[in-house]
Amino acid sequence: MFNFLVRRLLLLVPVFLSVSMVIFMIVHLVPGDPIDNLIQIGATPAQRAALVAKNGLDQPLLVQYGVWLRNLLSGDLGNAIIMRRPVASLIAENLPHSLRLGGLAFLFSTIVGIATGALAATFKDSWIDRAVTTLILLGSTVPSFWLGLLLILLFAVQLEWFPVSGARSWTGLVLPVATIGLHGVALVSRVTRAAMLDVSRKDFVLMLHAKGLSHWRIQLRHVLRHALLPVVTILSLRIGWIVGGAVTIEFVFARPGLGSLLITSLNQRDYPVVQGCLLMLSIAVMLGTLLGDVVQAAMDPRVREQLQ
Amino acid sequence: MKITHALRALVLATVSACSATGFSAAWAQDATFVISAREAGSPTYDPIKGTKLNVATLLIFDRMVVQDADQSFHGQLATSWESPADGMSWTFHLRKGVKFHDGEPFNAKTIEWWIPKFKGTENAFMTESIDKVVIVDDYTVKFLMKNPDPSMLLNMATSFMGIPSPKAYEALGDKFGVAGAVGSGPFKLESFTVGQQTKLVRNEDYRWASDLSKNRGPAKIKNLTMREINEDSTAFLELKTGGVDMLLSVPSDFLPKLQAEKSIKVVMLPGTELFYMPINTSVEPFTDIKVREAVALAVNQKEIMTSLFGGTGAVANNFLISSLQESKVNPKFNIGYNPTRAKKLLDEAGWVAGAGGARSKAGTPLTVKLWTQNGTQFKRVTEVIQAQLKAVGVNAEITVQDPASINAMYKKKTDHQLAVRSYDYTNADILDWFFSATRLGYPNVSMWNDPKAEELNAKAMKGSRTWNERVTNFKAYHEYVLSQFVFAPIYQPTQSFAYSQTRLKVPDTIRGMKMATQSIVDIEVK
Repeated sequence: MFNFLVRRLLLLVPVFLSVSMVIFMIVHLVPGDPIDNLIQIGATPAQRAALVAKNGLDQPLLVQYGVWLRNLLSGDLGNAIIMRRPVASLIAENLPHSLRLGGLAFLFSTIVGIATGALAATFKDSWIDRAVTTLILLGSTVPSFWLGLLLILLFAVQLEWFPVSGARSWTGLVLPVATIGLHGVALVSRVTRAAMLDVSRKDFVLMLHAKGLSHWRIQLRHVLRHALLPVVTILSLRIGWIVGGAVTIEFVFARPGLGSLLITSLNQRDYPVVQGCLLMLSIAVMLGTLLGDVVQAAMDPRVREQLQ
Repeated sequence: MKITHALRALVLATVSACSATGFSAAWAQDATFVISAREAGSPTYDPIKGTKLNVATLLIFDRMVVQDADQSFHGQLATSWESPADGMSWTFHLRKGVKFHDGEPFNAKTIEWWIPKFKGTENAFMTESIDKVVIVDDYTVKFLMKNPDPSMLLNMATSFMGIPSPKAYEALGDKFGVAGAVGSGPFKLESFTVGQQTKLVRNEDYRWASDLSKNRGPAKIKNLTMREINEDSTAFLELKTGGVDMLLSVPSDFLPKLQAEKSIKVVMLPGTELFYMPINTSVEPFTDIKVREAVALAVNQKEIMTSLFGGTGAVANNFLISSLQESKVNPKFNIGYNPTRAKKLLDEAGWVAGAGGARSKAGTPLTVKLWTQNGTQFKRVTEVIQAQLKAVGVNAEITVQDPASINAMYKKKTDHQLAVRSYDYTNADILDWFFSATRLGYPNVSMWNDPKAEELNAKAMKGSRTWNERVTNFKAYHEYVLSQFVFAPIYQPTQSFAYSQTRLKVPDTIRGMKMATQSIVDIEVK
């Protein structure tokens, strides 16, 4: 297991380097320029050229990448061109908001997703199953920004239970968490239901029934337990999205976070900030995937055997 | 990011079905305003180095002079000023008794420190005509000029000319405007989160408002939060539910619904924005002035104003907003809708109408590229113009891009033909920005490079000694630009803001070019 972990961590190094290069190149190849957003009406072409040079944007792209990577490896994400402050401090200001929102949405989708999936599998073909299947369909197909506005209209405008937007109190978290969480609920619920139905057809379940155990007990203590492996895999793959899954939702709900920061900096082509945000999101996904593999190995002896 | 038309429609339709009752979580004397989307994302409150500043800057920092809606100048930190006929100096008499938020006094030494600070910054051009600042006495300064600058007062009235406390500015260094901002304005900066909100608290010592404000003492609002909400629907719903008290800018498609709300008042002000369609004069078929004129005359400004903007605002017939003196050109140069002449000009240029009305020349159809940026208003205006061009036989193909991408594409110089754009600016030198041959591609999207225009430009920009001379020179330049049909004027939107009548008492007359310091100090919380 230790060797597996070390090997996986080492594998992250080339992945990280590749990702950093792809991020850098994509950000710079998108048409647009931070200097256009920086200069004032009235500035001369010479003043513009001076700003380009001051920010190192007159260098060949590969040289710019080399400088960025060298700074990155020494822990320096650089300074924002438009926002004029260290990218690391901008990310540090916004990351906690994204983690809070994404973490709660993850928790919500895990609990509600497993519960509804288990219910649907236990009462297969009943009205409960159909209701959960409808929920899965809606959660998978309705765009999250659309859903967010619908929830605002219902719960903030009509019922006045929660604020429309902002991050001024805990109540401001409810609607965005529900908006992001519903998509996760649909996914987790679908996987849980399918896995439980699959396990239900195994011989050992038939034997448990033959032993006379109650249906509930078999479903919850045996079937669900065995069905959790694919669910945990799916959940671990979603850990990375705790950080980056709320980009549009932070925008709709006017909340601070990495998503809002990313959109603002993208609109202004503030390269260092966009690169910093995308890198954070990529690292979160990479670490989430690694964590998922570790959890899977810890839970399933067959996986451990394969590793050995 | 903008939501789709359908989504907007859903929001508007659903809200109309909802109850009109709102709640207010705000405390008495506390208010929350939403700044305009155009100003969202301002990264700093450093007026010397910042290139994108929002309205809160005007509340934290005072300027030497402020401008009223009629373009007249009024003293704020300067009580009076004079300049000789040759324009080679400006003398400002400063207000006494002014203190910065940190208790430091404002006097002539402040100005002597302040002006040189612009050197080497992105805003250096604002003060580059000033050679030296001479202290005449403790409250009088004289600017010795390198060359006459009739725009001096105009520059002094911009938000970039907010004067910071020298002591705080030097102490905070590069962090000024981010970690803190100290001015002498009616509000002190309490906290600031980029892209989210700015919290301001009343300056209890404030006694030096300009004569444009009724209230010459401290502001009536004690705590003012300026929020940034990029999504228009969300901002609208916040005002509707009482989550905020004022939207400093209202998108035109939300105006009817806001006007229907009893608790909300919508106020219209003369606009500072202008929609126009630059024509790339360097590519076929627009190298032919007849085709350029035909395309410009095919735009029905009145139809756009009435069908898309509910009749609010004003049609644009030249390149400058109506409140500028330089916009009052000889009427013969104004560009207006004339489809008959447009068709005649296209015929003369050899573009002959076929059976279906579409034109072609030697077998080549008259198909042009029409670019625009994303955003509901831009897309709608562009679609109407596409239809209007089709009516005279021009087939326009629309491409939509985000603003940063489209500006980069203009720089390729020959890819674009027509574009729908807008600018928001209150100075005639915008003509230089968009039509000077030194900026071909972007911002000179028209790719216009004409010796006579350059001569007139130079005279307008550098050859004026007094304000009147400047107006005359810019009018001449403006008229020549119009005569060459390098763009088509479209529309001048009004500025509109909306506020909760149950929460705020706002002066009947808004002083200044927009809702800013002059009127905000007069606003009362009910």
